[in-house]
Amino acid sequence: MSIVATASIAIQRRFGRQRLRQYILGSIPFVVLISAWHMNTVFEWLPPVFIPAIGEVWDAFFILQEDCAGVGAALTLDNSCLMSTHILSSIGRVILAAVIGLPFGIAFGILAGMSRPISKILEPIGIFANSISGIAWIPLAIVWFGVGWMTTLFIMLNTIFWLMFFNSMMGVRGVARVYEQSVLTMGGNRLDVITQVYLPGAMPSIISGMRMSMGFGWRALIAAEMIGGDSGLGFMIFSSAEEFKIEEVFLGVIIISLIFLATDRYLLMPLEKWTIHRWGLVWKPT
Amino acid sequence: MPAKLVVEGLTHHYPDEYTGESVHALEKINLEVDEGELVTVVGPSGCGKSTLLNILAGLLPYREGIASVDGVQISGPGSDRGVVFQEHAILPWRSVAKNIGHGLEIKGMAKEEREARVKDFVDLVGLSGFEDKYPHELSGGMKQRCAVARTLCADPVIMLMDEPFAAVDAQTRITLQEELNRIAIATKKTIMFITHAVDEAAFLGDRCFVFSARPGRLKAIVNINIPRERRIWADMNADEEFVSSRDEILRLVREEVSVAVEE
Repeated sequence: MSIVATASIAIQRRFGRQRLRQYILGSIPFVVLISAWHMNTVFEWLPPVFIPAIGEVWDAFFILQEDCAGVGAALTLDNSCLMSTHILSSIGRVILAAVIGLPFGIAFGILAGMSRPISKILEPIGIFANSISGIAWIPLAIVWFGVGWMTTLFIMLNTIFWLMFFNSMMGVRGVARVYEQSVLTMGGNRLDVITQVYLPGAMPSIISGMRMSMGFGWRALIAAEMIGGDSGLGFMIFSSAEEFKIEEVFLGVIIISLIFLATDRYLLMPLEKWTIHRWGLVWKPT
Repeated sequence: MPAKLVVEGLTHHYPDEYTGESVHALEKINLEVDEGELVTVVGPSGCGKSTLLNILAGLLPYREGIASVDGVQISGPGSDRGVVFQEHAILPWRSVAKNIGHGLEIKGMAKEEREARVKDFVDLVGLSGFEDKYPHELSGGMKQRCAVARTLCADPVIMLMDEPFAAVDAQTRITLQEELNRIAIATKKTIMFITHAVDEAAFLGDRCFVFSARPGRLKAIVNINIPRERRIWADMNADEEFVSSRDEILRLVREEVSVAVEE
């Protein structure tokens, strides 16, 4: 057997055939995109002021972090550590908004899903809020809270809470009545029904709600940081663009995408696997 | 000895889901189920047998008549009445063992005691080795075994079964019927079993309650005098008592079906 074939089999054993296939297929668009980007640098189809070289973007990361005194300074969001401060403050805002917005959205969504009066009260205001959610609130938020983290938090909560609310409500409404009845006939009370039937039963909807609200939440955050923020990746992109530092703009966009990709891959997908895939609640593509 | 389940003068109307018209589902039902007895309820579709079960389970409020278990009037769902539902009602997000122990978990039984008890019932219904599987990994027959074990494990006074074997294939169904018979012997549980299948009603029941077409009335009670231990499908077609009971039930049900068709 040739060395290539032996190596190929070894790699397949190591990672698993399915996973390897998934990674390779998933990376195709990125390979194409990066190749095209690099070819632009080589052939100069578009001038470097519009599209910087890959190396420049890579270097920009370290240049921004150059003056940083160390890990301690980076973690305390010291202004000398520009890059890490922008990244950490954006991530911090997302975590704060998620920690508040997701549980409240799920809780109210479940209540509205099981109670007609509650859903009658909350649904119209939810539709109202959803229609203008996101960036349309920014001017008002700046008037109310000024430039800073309160404004970005407000914008994100508006997005995350209502998306989570509607998804959880729909999820609960889709749970078969017989599950609730079976828990009641075993002597269960309302709380048992909520924790053991509605919450797990609505999980497919809740997870897709999380995915949507994190996606839209990030977008809202970046927009809010651009206009109403004083730090963060959105702020960085916007202020770099004003100074024509195109490589920093590219860097910011790439970092945002990478963080979002990592959130999906290392938080949402494991949660999905651990819950709805294990329970057989979703159709799995083969 | 007083009866475990007593129903007196139970009449029920409910509004039709779409037209809103009042449907007369049950008319003056009187019946008793004794301790350790397995009664089957059979009747044409729409005769109100599922309505009766829902009332007894406490899932449907009733106004006219009395229904009581162990002398306590039924006023809502409770763990004294276990239900095995028609569809697969075991929770998809719980493993087999956790489903079976669910009733005890709700009652607050300590984990060790619960697990020992769950093991007995896993063995009883023949699900050993599948304790950690999730319902979607089980066949239809295994899901219903799990549902039966879940209900029995919580040790209800009476087990109510709503056409539990209707959705499984014919081969599995006769196996499940024989197993239920064996379980009924082993646990001496009081059981009310609702079905539209005449064979099933005759095979399982100590007595069979035949319901009339809507509004549901208790039309006749057929006694089936075959000792439980002798009830095996291979012997039944040659068993005179079984054949005559089955034919009697069939005749009673068919009268009602023709009434329903003429209407």
